[in-house]
Amino acid sequence: MQIEFEYKPGNAIAKVKLSAGQTITAEGGAMVAMSPNMDIETTTRQRKGGSLFSSVKRLLASESFFFNHFTARDGDAEIFLGTSLPGDMTTLAVTGKKIFVQGGSYVASSQDVQFETVWRGAKNLISGESLFWIELSGQGEAIINAFGVIYSFDVDGDYIVDTGHIVAYEEGLDYTITKAGESWVSSFLGGEGFVCKFSGRGKVWCQSHSSSSFGQQLSPHLRAIKTS
Amino acid sequence: MNIQILGNPSFAFAHVDLDPGETIVTESGAMATMDASIDLDSKLNGGFLKGLSRKFFGGESLFINHFSNKTSSQRTITLTQPTPGSMVLHDLGNGTICLQPTAFIACEPDVKLNTRFAGLVSFISGEGLFKITVSGPGKVLFGAFGGIIEKEVRGELIIDTGHLVAYEPQLKLKIQLSGGIISSLTSGEGLVTRMEGDGKVWIQTRNLQGFASWINRFF
Repeated sequence: MQIEFEYKPGNAIAKVKLSAGQTITAEGGAMVAMSPNMDIETTTRQRKGGSLFSSVKRLLASESFFFNHFTARDGDAEIFLGTSLPGDMTTLAVTGKKIFVQGGSYVASSQDVQFETVWRGAKNLISGESLFWIELSGQGEAIINAFGVIYSFDVDGDYIVDTGHIVAYEEGLDYTITKAGESWVSSFLGGEGFVCKFSGRGKVWCQSHSSSSFGQQLSPHLRAIKTS
Repeated sequence: MNIQILGNPSFAFAHVDLDPGETIVTESGAMATMDASIDLDSKLNGGFLKGLSRKFFGGESLFINHFSNKTSSQRTITLTQPTPGSMVLHDLGNGTICLQPTAFIACEPDVKLNTRFAGLVSFISGEGLFKITVSGPGKVLFGAFGGIIEKEVRGELIIDTGHLVAYEPQLKLKIQLSGGIISSLTSGEGLVTRMEGDGKVWIQTRNLQGFASWINRFF
């Protein structure tokens, strides 16, 4: 399987080449175009195992209820995978370490990557992050998307990520909801409010823009929907 | 201080390296990520009454943030803006530029930030009742919705309303109909802003009101 990206970072799309017999699993609705020799199987769960309950959890993680499994039937095949928001896409190398992906950011994964929807705590009610996250494990590659540019860094110690900017993070890290800087007063008066503080060791992927900040900027100009 | 803009033109953001003892002044909410040891101090943007009036009439933040590196080694903070678009890092030298209230993102600590009444012309043309003036010495980081065109005005330039991001203060703003009354109403241009004088302007390639009214057609 070979993954290439085009039109990064503004309107990224993933071009995935599969050899005969290879499968990629993608979130429902991600397929933009593909070769005709592709078999599609639609399930509410991962191909091997997973329960209906996990599909319900995935809905809560603002992911699609359905997964599509694309398999190259005979010979090579290619598929383009996209998302609905403008922004960046990138690959995550899954190498045994678990990776947690924010609900809504998962696009696709190769066949030996396992994924599970997991509850990441009530703290996310406060921070506005997803309550449910996609946990990736196993071996292979996954594709994620974001609103804005995806940038990553290695945390060793503490690092602050403003709410709305987390895309994914590795096992070995966890975050708490706290303030920016030393004072709660400054954090709130300065418009930062709650932020996420990552501690431990591992990689974090962030998005340069927050879709909710853009929404807040845009919404005063939008017309209210007539409900009568 | 090293400021590096990435993601231009569609999704610009800026990595700022702060050396020990350095401070960067930012717009409220501009921080996306930062080293946990950077300290934040939020200060009133000017006096209290002035700040309040700007918040309610100018749509600006009441507070601005001072992010300081009080450690003994270099630390990084990443800044962003709400809208997808470009950013410009402008060295003011000893000069001044005027910014639309939403354009300001950050500046070096020696830059003087002021909010001025921009006049009725600015308000009618959709550019806001207030404008920010930033004066050197130092660098200012500002952003826009869409790409940013930097243009040298010699005498006169017509700009559609909602597209002006920044301009040098010697330029005068005037509002006018884009053509005759009929053609102004039918051409979709309506009112335009006329800049008079010699100096630099920064224009955004998209405007948020235009984008919003396109979305509004679906409801």
